[in-house]
Amino acid sequence: MITIKLNGQDVLSTAPEDTPLLWVIREELGLTGTKFGCGAAQCGACTVLIDGEASFSCVTPIAVVEGAEVTTIEGLSEDGSHPLQKAWVAEQVPQCGYCQSGQIMRAAGFLADNPNPTREDIRSAMNTNLCRCGTYNRIVRAVERAAREV
Amino acid sequence: MSARSLDTTRRGFLKTGSGLVFLIGAGGITDIALAQEVQTDPASLAGWVWIEPNGAIHIAFPVTEMGQGSSTALPLILAEELDANWDDVVVEQVHRDDRRFGNPLFGNVLYTAGSTGVSGYFGVMRQAGADARRVLLRTAAARWQVPVDELQTEPSVVVHDATGRRATYGDLVVAAGALAQGQTPAVLKSPDAFRLIGRDIPRLDIPAKSSGTETYAIDVRVPDMAYATVLRAPVEGETVQSVDEGAARETPGLIDIVALPDGLAVVAETQWAAALARNALDVTWTETAEARGWNDTDTLASYQTQAEDLTSDASTWRESGNVNAAVEGAKTVVIATYLSDYAYHAQIEPMAVVADVKADRAEVWAGTQTQSWTMRTITEELGLSAEQVTLHMMTMGGGFGRRTALQQEYVRDALLASRAVGRPVKVIWTREDDVKHGWFRPAAAQHLRAGLAADGRLQGWQHRVATPSVIAYFNPLRWSQVEPNDIISMRGSESQFYDIPDFLAEHVITERQARVIPWRGIGASYTSFAAECFMDEVAGAAGRDPFDFRYDLVAHNPRGRALLDRVRAMSNWDRPPEGRGLGLSFAGYGNSMAAGVAEISLDRQSGSISVHRFYAAVDAGLVVAPDNSVNQIEGGIIFGISSALHERITITGGQVNQENFYDYEVLRADQAPEIMVELARNTEPPSGIGEAGTPMVAAAIANAFHALTGARLRHMPFTPDRVRAALA
Repeated sequence: MITIKLNGQDVLSTAPEDTPLLWVIREELGLTGTKFGCGAAQCGACTVLIDGEASFSCVTPIAVVEGAEVTTIEGLSEDGSHPLQKAWVAEQVPQCGYCQSGQIMRAAGFLADNPNPTREDIRSAMNTNLCRCGTYNRIVRAVERAAREV
Repeated sequence: MSARSLDTTRRGFLKTGSGLVFLIGAGGITDIALAQEVQTDPASLAGWVWIEPNGAIHIAFPVTEMGQGSSTALPLILAEELDANWDDVVVEQVHRDDRRFGNPLFGNVLYTAGSTGVSGYFGVMRQAGADARRVLLRTAAARWQVPVDELQTEPSVVVHDATGRRATYGDLVVAAGALAQGQTPAVLKSPDAFRLIGRDIPRLDIPAKSSGTETYAIDVRVPDMAYATVLRAPVEGETVQSVDEGAARETPGLIDIVALPDGLAVVAETQWAAALARNALDVTWTETAEARGWNDTDTLASYQTQAEDLTSDASTWRESGNVNAAVEGAKTVVIATYLSDYAYHAQIEPMAVVADVKADRAEVWAGTQTQSWTMRTITEELGLSAEQVTLHMMTMGGGFGRRTALQQEYVRDALLASRAVGRPVKVIWTREDDVKHGWFRPAAAQHLRAGLAADGRLQGWQHRVATPSVIAYFNPLRWSQVEPNDIISMRGSESQFYDIPDFLAEHVITERQARVIPWRGIGASYTSFAAECFMDEVAGAAGRDPFDFRYDLVAHNPRGRALLDRVRAMSNWDRPPEGRGLGLSFAGYGNSMAAGVAEISLDRQSGSISVHRFYAAVDAGLVVAPDNSVNQIEGGIIFGISSALHERITITGGQVNQENFYDYEVLRADQAPEIMVELARNTEPPSGIGEAGTPMVAAAIANAFHALTGARLRHMPFTPDRVRAALA
């Protein structure tokens, strides 16, 4: 039995301790905004914040996050009103949208550390997250917009 | 305005039990009915549009959404002609194989491919909206006893200016009464009266996709659902010879291990338990399949031999004049051969399907590019009729052609697993499964031959494409209708934007040595690479500038000429930045034209190419959704760069060597260039935008490489080792 603080609430998981956090979030806890993409920390679709740091939940065993604060896309805001989410809408970023939860969570972790990034800082930080539809330039613009507005 | 599932709508709709449904066929409105009379079958979506007394306007969405934005653009077209208030519109996904909603460009098969969403449905959905609007006008005219031609519409309201009377669409459908219908189609709006088309109306799906609330097939959860993963034979045509299940059976949470024709589905209470059990399986596979002999380098070498042997059999794809006489009579003859490797779709949502199969019915949640072939897969696999199947078409985490096949093995996996365990089952492919068991853009060898007249003008063009028939494999039903003309394998090689009197494009239909399927841009993703590189090579042999040489060939095509002029100005063609090379390409997709210039630099030590800027001028006819169209072109260009520089599937002994994104490289954010897109604005028929950005890209990069180095890149992708070899 493992306790984590998920989106501000204490929750229990009965999953075996080697179970990746991703599957606990999606299956056991029922939050499907966090996506499975590669299972190998390569694409970033599974990105969540662990104690504020953007992390690949697909390769993070649940035992490792005992007691940690985990934030998923659902915890960013109740209603899509987080500055990053508003910026994503304003810049009309998503196409298929599948990677975008992970992109937004990556950006959230990054902006917390670097609230006034250069464009190059953003490209470099977002390099962990694949977007097969090719929305990279809009992602950069949306992160810039959110940084301006925070 | 909102998009919601038909299930929800059905309940709400049946409760209100009234309103008007417009039954509209290709020839106009065939009937109008009170909703309660036609909605007796709750699974049926009867008409293109229905309007409720509360003012809600439901518009059928006949294709599927994979990121291209059709779920906004298509309803918008109908709403435009209906003169609907966009905020009143509710989008209704068509979940069934209902040919009344089929794509006219695919013989009314429900099929989302080939950039045909808007182009295929533009006429149908405009007319449906206009016909429905006319019914509302006539209803108001009858009610108010005024001539119909004195009435106008404002968004969702009929107005009689002379008396100041107004009625909302919702008011008018309450008791429409006798509705005289015109036998002729209603008159369409003039494009200058458009309020929605051509404006940047925000995409309806973007808020959900920015908040993690969009539901893909992989996200579906139903009561009592189990999870499955499939261990599949490593080589096509093999099956399980024997299996030691011992350790796997002891995995906590395991439900069953189910035999599939080409592997084993491991079904468990959780995805993780299924993965652990699968890892514990010890399977011996048969080793008799012919595919064991497939190796990509041998395959491509064989294709090259056949492409270059002008006497080997080929089927004609496009021909005019006499290419042999023209080339043989030319002052100079130029030849070159271009190669391209297999490419994988790499959609970020791996294949995932949920199925709940019972003896006499099934319910399936899947994200595919065709209601028709998904339904066919289900009914054929289970021996059920379509009426016994409830299908939910889910938005896709990328498609790019991967989800188009006639028989869908990822759907079958879930059907067989669910039937075996008697519970709903979600099958998720791992990324490794998705790569190793992918269906690919075919490898191709292309041989081109052209003549130059004494004055430096083109005299004859021959383009031989040696690649398998993609259609024969991914849709044999279709192949029986179109053989030997394979648009998937050959598109682009017709070079239709140029006027070349003596022309031949031909398909050397080679043996298939991998699973093949459409891939974004289909044939044009490699034929335009070859054709537009070769165009520069021929221009070079004539000692002419790439633009000037092409201008000769577009005299008949003023729209194309305008794109070339535009991209020349955008890219500052005559003054490339220091250390950078500029390369031109003029391609596109179908009738959509795209002129592109790539600005690149090169690290000669490593052989690594960087694309810094990409300029594109695109003419896709009338543009319904401008900002989304730019987004699609940007994405298509990124896709093209990724393919040109990185993407390569290799096959040894019939097995795919790559397994995940660490060895199948997809372009990342720091490699994405600045992209400048300009769209031509006109009122020509819309011709598709989702793939138009991709085909031009590889040649623009290769031509820029030549401008920078004097060397040619003729084998895609332009990996560092190939770049260094070209420079050696």
